[in-house]
Amino acid sequence: MSEEELRIGVYVCHCGGNISDYVDVKKVVEAIKGEPGVVVAKDVMFACSDSSQNEIINDVKEHNLNRVVVASCSPKLHELTFRETVKRAGLNPYLYYHANIREHVSWAHTDTREGATEKAIRHVRAAIAYVRNAKPLEPIRQKTMHAVLVIGGGIAGLRAALDLSRTGLNVYLVERSPFLGGRTPQLYRVYPDGRRGADIVKDLVSELIRRDNVAIYTNAEIKSFSGYIGNFEVEVEIKPRYIKVPYDEIKEKIKELPDEIPDEFNYGLTKRKVIYYPYEGAFPRIPVLDLDHCSDVETIKELLGDAVDLEQKPETVKLKVGAVIVATGFDPYEPKEGEFGYGRQGVVTLPQLHRLMDLGNGELKLNGREIRDVAFVYCVGSRQKKSSEEEEVNEYCSRYCCNAAMYISSLLMEQGIRTYHIFRDIRTYGRHERMYDEVSRKGGIFIKYNEDEPPEIEEEGDKLLLKVKDLLTAGEQLEIPVDLVVLVTGMVPRKTPELDELLRISRGRDRFYVEVHPKLRPVETAIGGIFIAGACQAPRDICETLSSASAAASKAATVTLRDVIELEPFKAEVDPNICDLSKKCIEICPYEAIEIKNYEGIGEKAWVNKAKCMGCGACVAVCPTEAIQLNGLTNEQIRAMIEAAGKEVII
Amino acid sequence: MSVKSWYERKYYGEIEDLPEEEYDVLVIGGGIAGIQAALDLGDMGFKVVLVEKEPSIGGFMYKLSKTFPTMDCASCIATPRMAQVFHHPMIDLLIYSEVEEIEKKGEGDFRVKVLEKPRFVDSSRCTGCGQCELACPVIVPHEYDWGLAGRKAVYIPFDTAVPRIAVVDLDHCIYCGQCERACPTEPPSIDFTQVPKIHHLKVGAIIIATGFHLFDARLKENYHFGEYPNVIHAMHMDRLLAPTRPYHAILRPSDGKEPNNIAYILCVGSRDKTVNNPNCSQICCMYSIKQAQLIMGALPLADVTIYYIDIRAFGKAFEEFYQQAKDMGIMLVKGRVAKIEQKENGDLIVWYEDIENGGKLCKAEHDLVVLSVGLLPNKEIANVFKGQKLEVDDVGWIKPVDENANPVETSIRGVFAAGTALGPKDIPDSVIEGGAAAMQCAAYLSEVRGRH
Repeated sequence: MSEEELRIGVYVCHCGGNISDYVDVKKVVEAIKGEPGVVVAKDVMFACSDSSQNEIINDVKEHNLNRVVVASCSPKLHELTFRETVKRAGLNPYLYYHANIREHVSWAHTDTREGATEKAIRHVRAAIAYVRNAKPLEPIRQKTMHAVLVIGGGIAGLRAALDLSRTGLNVYLVERSPFLGGRTPQLYRVYPDGRRGADIVKDLVSELIRRDNVAIYTNAEIKSFSGYIGNFEVEVEIKPRYIKVPYDEIKEKIKELPDEIPDEFNYGLTKRKVIYYPYEGAFPRIPVLDLDHCSDVETIKELLGDAVDLEQKPETVKLKVGAVIVATGFDPYEPKEGEFGYGRQGVVTLPQLHRLMDLGNGELKLNGREIRDVAFVYCVGSRQKKSSEEEEVNEYCSRYCCNAAMYISSLLMEQGIRTYHIFRDIRTYGRHERMYDEVSRKGGIFIKYNEDEPPEIEEEGDKLLLKVKDLLTAGEQLEIPVDLVVLVTGMVPRKTPELDELLRISRGRDRFYVEVHPKLRPVETAIGGIFIAGACQAPRDICETLSSASAAASKAATVTLRDVIELEPFKAEVDPNICDLSKKCIEICPYEAIEIKNYEGIGEKAWVNKAKCMGCGACVAVCPTEAIQLNGLTNEQIRAMIEAAGKEVII
Repeated sequence: MSVKSWYERKYYGEIEDLPEEEYDVLVIGGGIAGIQAALDLGDMGFKVVLVEKEPSIGGFMYKLSKTFPTMDCASCIATPRMAQVFHHPMIDLLIYSEVEEIEKKGEGDFRVKVLEKPRFVDSSRCTGCGQCELACPVIVPHEYDWGLAGRKAVYIPFDTAVPRIAVVDLDHCIYCGQCERACPTEPPSIDFTQVPKIHHLKVGAIIIATGFHLFDARLKENYHFGEYPNVIHAMHMDRLLAPTRPYHAILRPSDGKEPNNIAYILCVGSRDKTVNNPNCSQICCMYSIKQAQLIMGALPLADVTIYYIDIRAFGKAFEEFYQQAKDMGIMLVKGRVAKIEQKENGDLIVWYEDIENGGKLCKAEHDLVVLSVGLLPNKEIANVFKGQKLEVDDVGWIKPVDENANPVETSIRGVFAAGTALGPKDIPDSVIEGGAAAMQCAAYLSEVRGRH
């Protein structure tokens, strides 16, 4: 297209005042009015509002515009909005450029209106240069797989898998540990309805295993991962259990084995055997042989005969899915030795308290001794202060712990146990305030400590002595003898470095997975087609986890219920006439997207597999002949933009 | 205006009955939760109708200045969603409309009556130019600004309204006809002959996302809201801080002075049995901390003090945001304010117990007091179900039938709820529940229609 035919519309946004408070928007419009090709140049109050979008559409039609520039906020917010607008006006959506004069200009230069205005003019000029060199592009249309991979078999993964399977989609559920359920079965009873954690899981699992479009892999891990939204290829490795028969068949024989290993399910409070089945109702019902901890294989073979098969090898299954839900969950914070007395007899964590109560069928005993007084120390492993940049601490609040501690306190108090609550802020938000109220009314004693003067726990006879300065009673130093100290520990994200690397999804400063937008896109990652659910994204309770799992399932369904998906056309492309087959692009491509292909009449040259290309541009930078270019951001466009931005500005 | 009052106004002429229309899902409420639910369902390929009772979709979020803890400008992130839902090929909107009656005929079969209130503006012609607004001689307090600024009797709801079409407020209209004469369309878009319409919908499933309303601060008499001009509520402050703020400055009501010593009182109408709301409202701590940080930017010399019971910064990145506020110099006092007295110059004396410093009874002077009011349920929706009971809790929030299995499922099978219709919550949690309700609808419909 030659210069004369270009008809460009430019819209400079006030963004209410977000931009116009610091940038003279009218001057920007004046300054770019004369740029070659500009037919319409306007300032608008909110370019994104429906009326402004309609104005753009009308202008395109009335003035036969064939290129559009909007200068407003970050393209992350509104580039897609205006591409749609331009499309509605009948133009190719890629003949549009979004100049960011808010985050890059007005918000960054609140100190100089003149300077900000000048910079905005440069941005808009560069945008005009871009569209002058823009060519129509077509999105790449790909068929999608009607299947979803769910990683993690806790309640988040179970809920998401169940929801998706109900719509008829195929679901593959992969759980790393040998049994489904995650952390929930370890909970004795949970708020608000007092249900047993194991029962919550059992209900979900029993619904899920009835369905014929769900495949469940336990003791399994993701080994390889490639592809893109709509078409992911995954390899799952299933590790051997070495046991072939259900638990009930060998239950009595297993009992003959010695207790050897601290039982993870009971947080080390008890020991388990090398063949184990963690709790009644666990799925699958087939126990697992923990070969890593097994010292005497022969005895086991002798004892179990055909029920054990040590020849089992890991199996690999290959899956094709359209979307992925990551629901890898959390671990309870493990206090350091000595932290709030941890390690002393009688000091346990909140998850351990759940196990103690479950093991005692609701009655609380420690080493056979009756418990009369319990002190809960809150915010252990949460709201920590950073003393240096390098130190890895949990600055966040773990959200569920106040509620959970309050609920279990009320259960204890029903048994006549006195409870003390050593807290910083009681965060029983929403309706959970009722639980706090109930514990207060029943006589729970609340003591507020200062984070700089944490409570100390000492042994005194066969009791523990908790020393704390109480802010609620004018800073009085209190000494409280108790039988049990419960450290109300927070959540830390489950560490899965290999998985993060394979999926290329990132974690935030708090080490939880980071969502693409914390307010409006809380279950989406930066990688299209990969979604996050439950406590791997942020601490949350069971109810909130289930909601976020369904929300992630919803997003996965929007991808996989469709037959075709459109991908952005910003992919590298080789001009085989210029390519001298230096192979530099093939070496540098991090996605293995470039191959050698025989072009008819030209011979062997580089070729880009557009489905694999992520549009990073690494190949463009190394190509010695500029044969490889990025569609939507060619070298020609970049040069034109630099030149336009560098031009002198006279205000 | 309530549905009932439309019937009482017989003089608008007969109500027009429209033929039945069929949809997969009805979403009630065009706030951020309802919008999210509609978008997800539309993207999955379901045909959706979204009903909004106000003249524009957007719900509560578009009124906010910025959102915690990211400080995203609310209208910047909400507006594209509003436009998206408006233009979605699978989503129809019934705006300025209220659900009157819902009857369940069977699984996947709900019959719904929706009353569309007359705008008295022809939406096919109105361009949203605002000429009628300029011509109208009547000025009334604008709901959008919580009454801080005025609007006309014919008005465009707000700058980024979707749709951006004028609406005539007949309660205040004096029938002078100036708007009609000023309207540049041919014929004029103003149309006083419009009558209410009843839409008959046959839908497969329903999502309730009817949101909340603010606690009426006048009920806490010891704070003298509505009596002392310089006692405002926090949503007033949010408007004063917004990019689309009414005066382009933060001014206190009594004399238009820029305040320089501002107090926040938390838990107004929350955690308070004297006003029958024992619940915590879940968002007020954070919106107050957000506003305090914004005030520090807008009025660098001002002092901000927050009087609190507990600071509940529990969500993702909230605690860090709270610590940042403390580092910025925002003062936090643990103590519930007992009473407020007004001085002659309009300044206010706040009485409180300074719990962390010996529990002394103290008083402090401030020139503006902001009440961080809590959230209460919109109860009307529970009354529209014919022959079925929508379970609500003792405060009136919709009660999930089994919270620890499916937190968005209500007591009526096929009816789901999302966002603040289920209880106070912030934007991300509302968006999550919008998605979750969409998923449950899709699963339910697939099952009852035998797709799987």
